[in-house]
Amino acid sequence: MPDLSNLYDAILNGDAKTALAITKEAIAGGVNPLEIVNQHMIPAMDEAGRRFEAEEYFVPELLLAARAMKGGLQIIRPLLVAQGTEPVGRVVIGTVKGDLHDIGKNLIASMLEGGGFEVIDLGTDVSPDKFVQTVKERNPNLVCLSALLTVTMLSMKTTIDALKAAGVRDKVHVVVGGAPVTEQWALEIGADAYGPNAASAVPIARRLVGK
Amino acid sequence: MTSRERVLTALAHREPDGVPIDFGGTAVTGIHVSCVAALRDHYGLEKRPVKIHEPYQMLGWVDDDLKAAMGIDVEGVLPYKTLFGFANENWKPWRTEWGQDVLVPGNFNITVDANGDTLIYPEGDTSVPPSGRMPKGFYFFDSIIRQEPIDDDRLNPEDNLEEFGPVGDDYLAQLAREAPAAASKGRAVIAGFSGTAFGDIALVPAPFLKHPKGIRDVTEWYMSTRTRRDYIHTVFGKQCEMALKNLEKIHAVAGGSVDVVFVCGTDFGTQSSSFCSAATFRELYMPYYKEVNGWIHRNTAWKTFKHSCGAVEKFMEPFIESGFDIVNPVQCSAAGMDPAQLKEKYGSRLVFWGGGVDTQKTLPFGTPEEVRRQVMERCEIFSRNGGFVFDSIHNIQACTPVENIVSMIDAVREFSSRSAKETHA
Repeated sequence: MPDLSNLYDAILNGDAKTALAITKEAIAGGVNPLEIVNQHMIPAMDEAGRRFEAEEYFVPELLLAARAMKGGLQIIRPLLVAQGTEPVGRVVIGTVKGDLHDIGKNLIASMLEGGGFEVIDLGTDVSPDKFVQTVKERNPNLVCLSALLTVTMLSMKTTIDALKAAGVRDKVHVVVGGAPVTEQWALEIGADAYGPNAASAVPIARRLVGK
Repeated sequence: MTSRERVLTALAHREPDGVPIDFGGTAVTGIHVSCVAALRDHYGLEKRPVKIHEPYQMLGWVDDDLKAAMGIDVEGVLPYKTLFGFANENWKPWRTEWGQDVLVPGNFNITVDANGDTLIYPEGDTSVPPSGRMPKGFYFFDSIIRQEPIDDDRLNPEDNLEEFGPVGDDYLAQLAREAPAAASKGRAVIAGFSGTAFGDIALVPAPFLKHPKGIRDVTEWYMSTRTRRDYIHTVFGKQCEMALKNLEKIHAVAGGSVDVVFVCGTDFGTQSSSFCSAATFRELYMPYYKEVNGWIHRNTAWKTFKHSCGAVEKFMEPFIESGFDIVNPVQCSAAGMDPAQLKEKYGSRLVFWGGGVDTQKTLPFGTPEEVRRQVMERCEIFSRNGGFVFDSIHNIQACTPVENIVSMIDAVREFSSRSAKETHA
């Protein structure tokens, strides 16, 4: 049986190979997949977020931690589904129409996955219709919208308006983020929350889903 | 004062007769082509298609008549080739998706995909995969990542050095023509020679190369600054060696005509954080900046210009140690970038080329009066004792109301004329 505390260290150190090897070994040894996620992966990503906030970690370290976590999670996810484990919440995320930037969006998606959420990543340049359709089909708790450009920030409003027009706005919490986005902008366009950085993603999402 | 004298006085940290202005001098102090056309209309200039000199960000050429109307004090010698690898020559007409008639370089070759997105090709070669995409209904291209699978055992730094070769005679001949022509306009000349930007993330995907090799994925590159540091050092070291050789040739043909050189556009800041620590900056980047800037200061009269977006207050001291004279765009909207504190701490040692008005909120979305107020306030803070060239924080973006841009320019004039009166009083 592997020492699972090494999984925590491997994720924090961005060591994807070791994280995957320990996860596989633990699964083979009969460890409950939920225990691996809750006791080791989520605390590791929480700590990575804390270090980012404290400027001990920067974008590269966070990307590496996220990659290490995702490698292990990929083999755990089907097992969680098979045993009927419910995620903390379900999130639909995407960079809005007209915008092709995805580093920030990917980081938020990884942090949320690392925080126990099921994440449906629609990619970049996502049309309001696509968000609406996915909300209808997948019934998420949260919709996360990302934008880097001032001209594409406006697509956040278009997306929220489309959710309203489709009658699904009240079924989801909408969180917006990205370089030019502010708390005030979030209020103006009718979002529920503004995410200032990667470290804030999980606390905000947990608060919104009440967990 | 002439425009050039005004800029050089500011660069020498003395107060000129008015705040010098740059728009259009570089690809980070430019104006979106749609706004250039709107400004030409506003100032009643001859109606003609605007040239797109930087297709990636769709920056429009600021012609002499518009420079005069806006009171611009800086002339740019732009890089030899655009970010898509073709030269600014053989202009041809093109109608943008938003219906503007413009001129684009002859090798600006595009196709439209099934989604209606515009795809653009490296060196204009449509027989290879496209390297840039502009989403339907929008205003800028972005790189298409073309990353071959990475095998760490086979990674070769030479693959990330394809773009850093020796400058060709054709480029040197062009510089020998263009730099003196720029200087003859009476404005200060800023030149971007390429090859001295270490790890600029806009260049990593190499949208100018037909078949980029090495590490070309943006996320992979950022992770590599941590996990493959020896590889990155080798790339930077060889790039630096080549850059010094090239600078010598460039200086020989254009040296006396140039006042400022745009050394590097690598972004170290995000809106609220950064891409590395100051310690990593000192270890990974500073040695090469010192080499380049040191050579420039030993051998030329050029001032060195560093662009970095985002929250970079903690890098200001290392920028100074690296030999940079000028920082841009001075993103005051990012964390820790308070104008008064920046000026107080670094204003006697760094020139702030930018910071004049926020382009994330105030300029595109504010009222003309809000723009005016912010410009007056920033001029008041940054222009004291010189060391300030007015520019918005990065390029003026598409969809910015022309009345806000005009209000910005009018406010700089108002500030300059008020300061002049106070000086005489």
